[in-house]
Amino acid sequence: MTFVSNTPPPAKPKLKAFVKRNGNQFIVLGLIAALLLAGSLVSDRFATSRNLMNILEQSSALALVSLGQTLAVLTGGIDLSVGSMISLASVLLSGITDGDPSMVISAVIFVLLLGAFVGLINGSAILFLKVHPLVVTLGTGAALQGATLLYTMGPAGKMPLNFDYFAYGRFLGLPVGALVAIGLFFSVALFLRYTRFGRYIYAVGDDADGAKLMGLPHNKAILLVYAFSGLMASLTAVFLVSRFGVGQPYTGANFTLTSITPVVVGGTILAGGRGGVIGTLLGVYLISLLNNVLNFMDISSHYQQIVQGLIVIVAVSVYVEKKRKL
Amino acid sequence: MSDLSQPNMSAKSSQGDWLRGVARQYALHIALLGLIVLSAGLSPSFLSSGNLTNMLLQYAPLGIVVIGQVFVILVRGLDLSVASVMATAAVIATSFNGQNSDAIPIIGAVLAMGLCVGFVNGFLVTKRKVSPFLATLATMIVLQGLRSAYTQGAPSGNVPSFFRVLGSESLMGVPYNLIVTIVVATLFSILLAKSAFGRRVYITGGNPETARLLGMKADRTIIICYMISGSLAALAGLILSGFVGIVDNWVGRGFEIDSIVAAVVGGVALSGGRGSITGGLLGAAILVVVFNSVLQLGLPIQLQIIIKGVTIIVAAAFYARRGA
Repeated sequence: MTFVSNTPPPAKPKLKAFVKRNGNQFIVLGLIAALLLAGSLVSDRFATSRNLMNILEQSSALALVSLGQTLAVLTGGIDLSVGSMISLASVLLSGITDGDPSMVISAVIFVLLLGAFVGLINGSAILFLKVHPLVVTLGTGAALQGATLLYTMGPAGKMPLNFDYFAYGRFLGLPVGALVAIGLFFSVALFLRYTRFGRYIYAVGDDADGAKLMGLPHNKAILLVYAFSGLMASLTAVFLVSRFGVGQPYTGANFTLTSITPVVVGGTILAGGRGGVIGTLLGVYLISLLNNVLNFMDISSHYQQIVQGLIVIVAVSVYVEKKRKL
Repeated sequence: MSDLSQPNMSAKSSQGDWLRGVARQYALHIALLGLIVLSAGLSPSFLSSGNLTNMLLQYAPLGIVVIGQVFVILVRGLDLSVASVMATAAVIATSFNGQNSDAIPIIGAVLAMGLCVGFVNGFLVTKRKVSPFLATLATMIVLQGLRSAYTQGAPSGNVPSFFRVLGSESLMGVPYNLIVTIVVATLFSILLAKSAFGRRVYITGGNPETARLLGMKADRTIIICYMISGSLAALAGLILSGFVGIVDNWVGRGFEIDSIVAAVVGGVALSGGRGSITGGLLGAAILVVVFNSVLQLGLPIQLQIIIKGVTIIVAAAFYARRGA
């Protein structure tokens, strides 16, 4: 391949490759643009910075939890324990803090570590018991939900007043939570694309046996991915507690399944090895925008649910078609 | 090929291995018996006729759902939409006048709904190559939305008394709903173990490539499995609505997880092609007994959920080891 090094690659194929590689993202971006247009036609209050900031603010929780989910899916797995992990971390965070400002930092660190630790348990069970991730995380999810309800049946403790900065604060006019989420997404995107270990994650998802035969650190990748997913679930809990001021035992219940929707809409396929986190971020904003536009159109949440289900069906059908052609 | 239907059996049994073979084949029966003896020993009220009837009443809907789930898992699938189908069936049951004369149209409408949902699931999985998890998740969400849009949040109306009797009363100590479960289980066991369709199910799930080379229409087999699961879930929803008496949008909540756990505990392999209806039904029985003992022993009810979680991992790990 050395002989091509003298001549710079022609620009056009590079652009073509870029478009081809990111085709899914462009589709989602196009849909987002269409929704922005539709929203501004529906209501003149839609395209205000106040509403758009609101959307960014509200989507942060979904963004954080689906970031971890994306990595699990990239390795060909899935993490169904995130919802219960969020619930457990929320009640522990506000229960341990219980209004005492001096406890906040240690409580946050504790729940973040706990999330990563639960993720390590998930990863170890997947690797060493040789049980499918779906079954393992379903099981740990149930166990975590039970533990949450043993700890408390209702809202637990409370947070100091200024703890709501993470959810409602603004930095340079932008919501803090959204900035953190976007920062994390781009860091992980760079990690996946430009580090050797990031490429391993794709390799493991694409062909686990092949990756093992090549001597890639298959086990390390799986452990890292599930630990990260647990960590992100805990961070989501921190955000939600910041938002509501208190941890509740069912806070996370809906997030297990909703965290998968943006991953799929963003073009990461459940079989693993294909996709990426930026697609997921776009998927998060697409879904949040859609719900917002439907709200402005006065369409009840019942129908919003139907629309969300249909989006999943359409998204998975489209992307699968693509993979078969490749 | 006949031993395909009894994958637990270790066929080559020399004289010495005979006992071990029996132990293997009847591991689930032995586990269930052991649990019952243990529970009865720990709490005397466990074997009271009231508690037994109660357990059997609770067992019936789960048993029916598990049968459908077994078919789907055998062809390498998974049906997350069963709970949603159950709730939708219950809502349909209340949408008529609540007269017994409506029983036949209700059953017809409910089964048609279940078959349709199953068909959509199967169609997405086979023709659109959507993963079963996502396909049934999506139909679950759509059904939830349709249901709450139709009921505007809270369903009203009554379940005809016919279903109340079917769901909660007994004939000489044997609940009617258990009789339904036994009939359904017998019919589908025969279908799975003795018919050509049953063999297609095992071959399609065990090795799709073989199925294709044998000229089988794998897609059709898979779609039928999802339709069986949908219609049985609908039937279970009817029976459960008769059991609980009131209908909300969430009748059957948790049944998707419980039915999968029961199947896995019963030795139905999520990788497809291995397992039986008897296994799934025994798995469901083990779950019901375990949940019931938690209550009988006066332990916190939250432990039920934790035990459920640990059970599925341990069971799956057990079979993973044995399969290897």
